[in-house]
Amino acid sequence: MSNELYKLVIDGHEVEASPESSIIQAYARAGNAITANVGCMGQGVCGSCRCLIRKEGEREVTTALACETKIEPGMQVSFVDYFMPEHVHYYDVDEVGDGWNWLDDTARIFPEASHCRHCSGCDRSCPKGLHVQDGVAQVVAGDFVAAAATFDECVMCNLCTLACPENIRPNHLGLFARRMKAARTLRPIDLMRRLQQIDNGAMSVDIHATAGEAH
Amino acid sequence: MNTERQGVDYAQALQTLRTSALEMRNDLPAKEILLQDYHPDYGADARITLPVGANAGEFCHPDLAKLLLSRPLIDDFNLAGALQMNTDVLIIGGGGAGAAAALTAAEAGADVVMANKLRIGDSNTVMAEGGIQAAVGEEDSLQRHFEDTVKGGHHAADKALVAQMVTDGPAAIRWLIGLGMNFDLAAGSDNNGRLQRKRAGGTTTPRVLCYRDFTGLEMMRVLREAVELERNITQLNRCPAIELLSDEHGRCVGAVLYDLERRKLLMVHAKSVVLATGGSGRLHLQDFATSNHYGATADGLVMAYRMGAKLRDVDSFQYHPTGVAHPPHLAGALISEAVRSAGTHLVNGLGERFVDELQPRDVVAAAILRECAEGRGVLRDGQVGVFLDTPRLIAKDPDVLKRLVSLAHVAHKCGINPAEEPLLIHPTLHYQNGGMLIDGNGQSTVPGLYGAGEVTGGIHGRNRLMGNALLDIISFGRRAGEAAAQTGLPLKKARGGISHVYKLQRELTRAGIQSEGKAPVLYPDYGRFDLREHAGIQENAHAKA
Ligand SMILES: Cc1cc2nc3c(=O)[nH]c(=O)nc-3n(C[C@H](O)[C@H](O)[C@H](O)COP(=O)(O)OP(=O)(O)OC[C@H]3O[C@@H](n4cnc5c(N)ncnc54)[C@H](O)[C@@H]3O)c2cc1C
Ligand code: SF4
Ligand code: SF4
Ligand code: FES
Repeated sequence: MSNELYKLVIDGHEVEASPESSIIQAYARAGNAITANVGCMGQGVCGSCRCLIRKEGEREVTTALACETKIEPGMQVSFVDYFMPEHVHYYDVDEVGDGWNWLDDTARIFPEASHCRHCSGCDRSCPKGLHVQDGVAQVVAGDFVAAAATFDECVMCNLCTLACPENIRPNHLGLFARRMKAARTLRPIDLMRRLQQIDNGAMSVDIHATAGEAH
Repeated sequence: MNTERQGVDYAQALQTLRTSALEMRNDLPAKEILLQDYHPDYGADARITLPVGANAGEFCHPDLAKLLLSRPLIDDFNLAGALQMNTDVLIIGGGGAGAAAALTAAEAGADVVMANKLRIGDSNTVMAEGGIQAAVGEEDSLQRHFEDTVKGGHHAADKALVAQMVTDGPAAIRWLIGLGMNFDLAAGSDNNGRLQRKRAGGTTTPRVLCYRDFTGLEMMRVLREAVELERNITQLNRCPAIELLSDEHGRCVGAVLYDLERRKLLMVHAKSVVLATGGSGRLHLQDFATSNHYGATADGLVMAYRMGAKLRDVDSFQYHPTGVAHPPHLAGALISEAVRSAGTHLVNGLGERFVDELQPRDVVAAAILRECAEGRGVLRDGQVGVFLDTPRLIAKDPDVLKRLVSLAHVAHKCGINPAEEPLLIHPTLHYQNGGMLIDGNGQSTVPGLYGAGEVTGGIHGRNRLMGNALLDIISFGRRAGEAAAQTGLPLKKARGGISHVYKLQRELTRAGIQSEGKAPVLYPDYGRFDLREHAGIQENAHAKA
């Protein structure tokens, strides 16, 4: 490997790091205390390292997960801090009806969702490349199965929520659909049977009956 | 660890792999000898005896011992000026165990404050891929789950805790579904059919339930949303706990937090406290790379030990066999055990298999370390490892990548096509087998202090099976949350302090031990965090040693 270093700018600091580094690794070399915008450090599942990047010579700013993205020379990076939007769509899975009123429930809990402007801000902001706007339309139409698939790999980075001018909070809407679908329709028979056996005492553990060898 | 990096050159090893018939070497020593000689827990530098505290005279990993015996972070801070807050139950740590405890405590009617070092969910839980064990199969039973777990943990587990956990398994899955977590169904099943079950290393039957190969993400995003929508839970993000609070009877009555945004100390007084701070992978014990999230720095163990809580098995860690070895910037990242359970072989630099891939993790990890130590590993750009032969698996089962989404993801990040090129892997520091001693309600040996999840010990003995950690955090998270909500003295005006911290310091002085450094460390050293500097506090020139 060569000893060449790439120069880039992260949150206003000039940083030099080896070409193999991810943005997070380069950031660690910038000398600041790192107490936020990092979680899983490379697995790309926690969504906490969201950032905006502009590549050298390009005008467009795109979103990325910093732990998954390799640095490039001349790159400009700024992290987007975690934020808690004022507006929370409260609901309790247990209190949302039996599933027959999904359309009403959705309209009541997420009244903004039907006002989608189709501006595709959410699509452009999604570092996972999900079809967020379609997902919003699917939930509004009551097609929770399709919506659940659309939001399957969402890491809840909240960038679409930040981007949406209508306060829809698309990722939370998507998660609502996913949760309702599981909570209301998933009833595995093998699980039910086992629960019944445990509850009526037909199955239990005898901790003294271990067969295995001890050492 | 041996630092001598020797092995077969990558290009040559790759060539050999492609033409190899994958013969199995037959010189693997007996399990006990293999572990003794090659598992990192057994090396000469792997344990020392703790001189003072609740575990005096017992073994501990030396790096962890250093933290347990170090000086407090808030050595001579003035607590009188700290912000104050009251609650029924304080939960420290917002991973799966903390979230389960918070939801259950709130459901039992308690006011809950949850303190998170990072943001809620930025944890090991969200990273889990493989799945969660629960004995739901027809041929399976709670007894079988119990026996597999006890045996997998080398008969060191607390059997009563294991029995309770496996019995909780099916109900834990039901609880998760009730919150809206999805699970995969067996091929051809509909929502009323059967759950998909995978085989874990060391189990006698397929028992791991999953959601794709990002079970932890599916679990954590549901738990986090449920916590955020629960009005009786107050969340404090970016507020790491740095010390517990004790009252004059040695009861745990809250914690001191550091609010990173306001750069101020915050004292939370509570009737009871649930410690759910997870593990210690980011301590990089013995210089191993790790699969763990950024915040896994053993803070809970440090705080609990100072408070007088007894720990157990704190010299036992899990090194997951399949961490990424190359490219270097991804070193340590996890490749799920699901890839081995799908039938992928491990192959050394000579094109040979050397271990049954579905043995318990410590055995497989030790076998890989043995290949590397004896020069049969594969060398690439200074990194050593063995091959995970994905091309052969994918050739046999072309659809397998659809099930192993994370594998495709990792391979992509490594810049390889797993259908053509194998991954280079090496064991990675993955899990803390031991931790705070608890009873069936998650109660520690200190009144008022409960614990759940990776910060506790006793459930997995000295080796954990895939899928049992996620079950542990739900089973014991809920039990600890419930118990913590039921107990506790009324909040009094006269409230706790940190005299217990100084008690341990005095014990150390009496034993003639000079403490080095400060703890909890909160972030790994490359996180460059210094509490004083951050809070803008001048070091007191007269501070005692
Ligand atoms: C990559 C990976 C894959 C895994 N796969 C599986 C699997 O398939 N199946 C399985 O069963 N297990 C798996 N495990 C293990 C399992 O995920 C963890 O053991 C389990 O999730 C731990 O949960 P927890 O709640 O105890 O800790 P965590 O989920 O780690 O949560 C602890 C939380 O506490 C916070 N914290 C730490 N210190 C402080 C402090 N001082 N103050 C406040 N907060 C603090 C942390 O930041 C974190 O948010 C895996 C682990 C990893 C790393
Ligand atoms: S859908 Fe929204 S929250 Fe989910 S990954 Fe995309 S931008 Fe992030
Ligand atoms: S950003 Fe909001 S308004 Fe725009 S397309 Fe997405 S959901 Fe609709
Ligand atoms: S740190 Fe988790 S997605 Fe980047």
